[in-house]
Amino acid sequence: MNKKNLTILLLALAVPVTAWLPLPDFWIAQLNYIGLYALVSLGLVLLTGVGGLTSFGQAAFVGIGAYTTAWLTLNTGMSPWLTLFVGMALTGVSALVVGFITLRMSGHYLPLATIAWGLSLYYLMGNLDVLGKYDGLQGLKSLSIGAIDIGQGRLFFVLCWAILIAGALALTHLLDSRPGRAIRSLKGGTQMAEAMGISTFRYKVTIFLIAALFASIAGWLLAHFQRTVNPSAFGLKMGIEYLFMAVIGGVGHVWGAIVGAGLVKLLDDYLQVALPALIGTSGSYEVIVFGIALVLVLKYLPDGLWSVVARKFPKAQRVVDWQDAADLPVRAKPAIGEPVLVVDKIRKQFGGLVAVNDISFDIAAGQIVGLIGPNGAGKSTTFNLVTGVLSKTSGRVTFCGQDVSALPSREISRQGMARTFQHVKMIADMTVLENVAMGAYTRGSSGVVSSMLRTNQAEEQRLMKEAQRQLERIGMGAYMHEQAGNLAMGPQRLMEIARALCCDPALLLLDEPAAGLRHKEKQGLIAVLRQLQGEGMSILLVEHDMDLVMDVCDQLVVMEFGTLLTRGTPAEVQANPAVRAAYLGTEH
Amino acid sequence: MQLKKTLLALAITAVSSTAALADIKVGVSLSLTGPGSGLGIPMQKQLQLFPKTIAGEKVELTILDDASDPGKAAANARRFVTEDKVDVIFGANLTPTSAAITPIAFDAKTAQVSGAPVPPQAEKESIIFRLPQGFKVMSHAVVEHMKKQGVKTVGFLGYADGYGQGWLVNMKPMLEASGMKLVGEERFARADTSVTPQALKLNAANPDAILVVASGSGAAMPQLALAERGYKGKIYQTHAAATPDLTRVGGKTVEGTFVVSGPALLGDQLPDNHPSKKQALNFVANFEKANGANTRNQFAGHAYDFQVAMEKIIPMALKKAKPGTPEFRMAIRDSLETMGRTVFAHGVMNWTAADHEGYTLETGVMTKVVDGKFKVE
Amino acid sequence: MDSSIASILLLDGVTNGAIYALLGLATVLVFTVTRIIFIPQGEFVAYGALTLAMLQTGKVPGTVWLLLCLALLACVMEFVERWRHLGDINRALKAGLKTLAFPLLIALLSIWAAPQQFPLWVQAALSVAIVTAFGPLVYRVAYQSLEAATPLVLLIVSVGVHFAMTGLGLLFFGAEGFRNPSFWDERFALGPVALSGQTVIIFVVSLALIVLMWLYFEKSLRGKALRATAVNRTGARLMGISTHASGQLTFLLAALIGALSGLLIGPTTTVFYDSGFLIGLKGFVAAVIAGLSSYPGALVGALFVGIVEAFGAFWASAFKEVIVFTLVLPILLVRSLRSGHSDEEH
Repeated sequence: MNKKNLTILLLALAVPVTAWLPLPDFWIAQLNYIGLYALVSLGLVLLTGVGGLTSFGQAAFVGIGAYTTAWLTLNTGMSPWLTLFVGMALTGVSALVVGFITLRMSGHYLPLATIAWGLSLYYLMGNLDVLGKYDGLQGLKSLSIGAIDIGQGRLFFVLCWAILIAGALALTHLLDSRPGRAIRSLKGGTQMAEAMGISTFRYKVTIFLIAALFASIAGWLLAHFQRTVNPSAFGLKMGIEYLFMAVIGGVGHVWGAIVGAGLVKLLDDYLQVALPALIGTSGSYEVIVFGIALVLVLKYLPDGLWSVVARKFPKAQRVVDWQDAADLPVRAKPAIGEPVLVVDKIRKQFGGLVAVNDISFDIAAGQIVGLIGPNGAGKSTTFNLVTGVLSKTSGRVTFCGQDVSALPSREISRQGMARTFQHVKMIADMTVLENVAMGAYTRGSSGVVSSMLRTNQAEEQRLMKEAQRQLERIGMGAYMHEQAGNLAMGPQRLMEIARALCCDPALLLLDEPAAGLRHKEKQGLIAVLRQLQGEGMSILLVEHDMDLVMDVCDQLVVMEFGTLLTRGTPAEVQANPAVRAAYLGTEH
Repeated sequence: MQLKKTLLALAITAVSSTAALADIKVGVSLSLTGPGSGLGIPMQKQLQLFPKTIAGEKVELTILDDASDPGKAAANARRFVTEDKVDVIFGANLTPTSAAITPIAFDAKTAQVSGAPVPPQAEKESIIFRLPQGFKVMSHAVVEHMKKQGVKTVGFLGYADGYGQGWLVNMKPMLEASGMKLVGEERFARADTSVTPQALKLNAANPDAILVVASGSGAAMPQLALAERGYKGKIYQTHAAATPDLTRVGGKTVEGTFVVSGPALLGDQLPDNHPSKKQALNFVANFEKANGANTRNQFAGHAYDFQVAMEKIIPMALKKAKPGTPEFRMAIRDSLETMGRTVFAHGVMNWTAADHEGYTLETGVMTKVVDGKFKVE
Repeated sequence: MDSSIASILLLDGVTNGAIYALLGLATVLVFTVTRIIFIPQGEFVAYGALTLAMLQTGKVPGTVWLLLCLALLACVMEFVERWRHLGDINRALKAGLKTLAFPLLIALLSIWAAPQQFPLWVQAALSVAIVTAFGPLVYRVAYQSLEAATPLVLLIVSVGVHFAMTGLGLLFFGAEGFRNPSFWDERFALGPVALSGQTVIIFVVSLALIVLMWLYFEKSLRGKALRATAVNRTGARLMGISTHASGQLTFLLAALIGALSGLLIGPTTTVFYDSGFLIGLKGFVAAVIAGLSSYPGALVGALFVGIVEAFGAFWASAFKEVIVFTLVLPILLVRSLRSGHSDEEH
């Protein structure tokens, strides 16, 4: 039994063992609350810690789950085991509605929107007659299996923590999978993810939904544990507290949610008794301590408490078990000499400024074409137009016979066009292998559910094998298990190329691949490019290093002020007086 | 000291099972913060005057804040019955928080004396004893007074919470039965910056009388808003507003308002043959000695009544069992039920097996604000 | 609904809206210079109103003691940081004492003045001074070392500060509410509506502050320096603009606006220790409607919120908050789509 399965078994056993120990009833009650809160915080870890989407409204989703089961069990006598799913469905629908509106917002609009609808739902719950207004609903029954009441005390502890640990494991599995890599890319901005074929909006909605479902389950458990539901547990204050728990525990770490929830609950409890004794009068003064604690944690321990633990137990290196996996299918590529990319009079205007002025060129299979020009010529803009990152004002782009002019970048990526970026865009805390495997996103198909249940292993192995192959192809095989953030600039750029190669492209677009490389590294890059060309790859290159460009390119396209100046072989372009004038000024 | 005791109790409990301590333990859950704090804090102030010993046994009160949140109240109750193993629970001062405590008290077979008029709790009714006059009792007093004043149409301006809801639900049928009509129903929240729109709407309906349902200082703003709109009819306030906070914030505007109250605040105005006169005077004297003149408060009166009840039944329960045992808790519950007619500052209480509310309909007293003080009508 | 009712509601909405506008302005100000989404803005409002209420009763407000503690803490922090940075004890000491000077002065003045029961306007001025002194101290203690952090981290710090300030407010002012006497008791008839002197003051002060802020940021060098800090921190520092001083100045202004708002609403509303949050939030909503960048936009947004609230309270008083906060969502959506998506901002 390997180490991973052993840990899981130990965790699974820990729960019933803890329940069996002669702990005081009060401790068990505390652990029950901690388990409930941790479940909600778990969703926040996924949403905020990994996805970078701050939500203050999770408490409202807890409320929907709680009120659904409360109303249904009280008024229709439905079994709580059924109302759980009804609640999840309702919460899911509201999460989708809210998500579609708010997740299109960027930056600081999102947390504000979550505050707005969190408050809105809270006041709605508190003012509807059917939900008992601010008094809420009372008299709920405890959960039970047959005649056994598992809704209180130790049996509830087992139920609650079993669900919690299952959830935590599911999340851990999710984050180490194809959709997981997509989710982890959300935080760093959408450009790179979209270029890898990932629909960032879809994943944002997905993690929002998952977080809401976790909250809904917690609401269901809470309702039947407390046997009363009341709006005050679902207001903004509680929403803030959940985020607080996640942050203190370590919002980027799955187990941080549990640590955070535990710490906050215990501290809350301790302070409730200790502070009044200290100050001399009773009152809820714990908030003062929490407020100060929050500020201190963010100042001195921004990664939360779990990061301290994680540092002591560094992650084990990934076990290479995919040698026997089948190869991924490759797409049919055009034969040498056939047209791969035809750019026909593309134009980009920003208001009155014409950045790209009716540029036309084409690339045949097996060619390396360089796009050069002085600074501000519009090379990167052209790049972005071709790859679909920017929308064109007019013009056509045909790729392998297909018109891709109107497609977004993730669709173009699927067609077989892969790119790197001027400033390296990678996920620093993933390994090189995992970063490169992101490139193979479009060649896989496993979804969220299969990732959580770990039934996607066969496909994962194939993706990892492909990633390793591409790394070795460009000579980076030794860096496979290194953390991407530890690499120097040169290897990082090569890693980006490997990642682009994982898309199985017919055309590779490289944006200043030699920038910041030392001489020897540039030589290595030239060797790689030649090798790729030898294997039939077409490459479009934007570059400033003239020696490299003249050395490696078959054709050059020269731009100046957004307009095509000339095109031809390196020798022709070097001799062209207009080109010399553009770079060096006219001769007198 | 409290902390040390808690830690010690934790340690002992972890090693052995229930330790029988000689102290009588009372667990108190009150809203010291949040919307219910106007009711909870005066109760806390009164409980600070609770005797340290009763019938020779030391009494220990643990007061916890539930922040007007039923979840927290339930958590407090759970702590009381599992951790502190209290002999009786006093809690809470709001209906939803009290109702959240009841199932826990019921399971632990520990009597709950509530400072809120909780609605009947079906099979759990046997564990809860209510100190305040119910909404029905107070509504009765208001409706009777309105009838005498010849009021035909009534408007309602109340908190959008359980307190407001309780009044509305009880007033409506009583008004109808007396031939009066409810012509306007507006709600507001304690933290609102303005109730002008609501006042506007009610003023347009122009009822003969408007009932404002709010507590403490929060009850002043609606009245001020009504005055600003030029409302000339009669204004009634509920017993939660029978505090100096109303006159402090409302000033001259609240002169002439009719405020219903329990007898506890009015000892000096009650006729000599009124049964509660002595207790009411005693309560006010002690409370104002500790907190200053004219600080007397409706809800503190209920906390005082709790003390009266405990002083009566603890000796009875001590005869049957020792503190800290399940038998003692059972004895307390039984004694509360069988203690018979007991004179409280708030009236004559008579809990029976069938009735855990106890007060008669005539208990409410109508007062009028005159010179910043509450004068019996 | 007839026109007289509509006009009264409109007046009510605009009056509340004026206060929300002030808070919205302060929010936009703080965000544009420091990238901090300052949730505790409302707490300054509550502190302002309640400090005056306490002074009215002749007692020394708890905020004075908090001011002293905070000032001492800031002084120590400043001293330690300067000493580590410069190695020179004398200069470090000077820096620390500079932080302490003004708050200490105000605190001592208040302690002396409180039992004297000075006239209303003196006490009002004192309240404003006390709460304004808080601003730079809050920045120094909670935010200064996190200057370069992401807006998300700063937002969470704001939440922490909000919790702390609310809890302390409960400690100092108790759970019951207060109402301050009106500054101007006159009433004016404007058609069907009766305008109170207080309302006139609210309008005049709000308008004056808006104009002043606009002038400051457009015309004065200091104001432009503040805007520069918001656009590019490092660039501003290279130009000799102290980002620390910018942050503290911004918070000073925010606290000043908050305190003034507290004085303005004190007479018309019963203020509780936790009233500030909801008021601040609505001002905040107004700021967001303006895209957190435009002052006139914040004003318009605030008036919108105030009017929606007033009419919503008339039609369905129980659901007033639901209406206000739900209406915000489509506006946020439109705003967000229009402002486009910046990859770095994510």
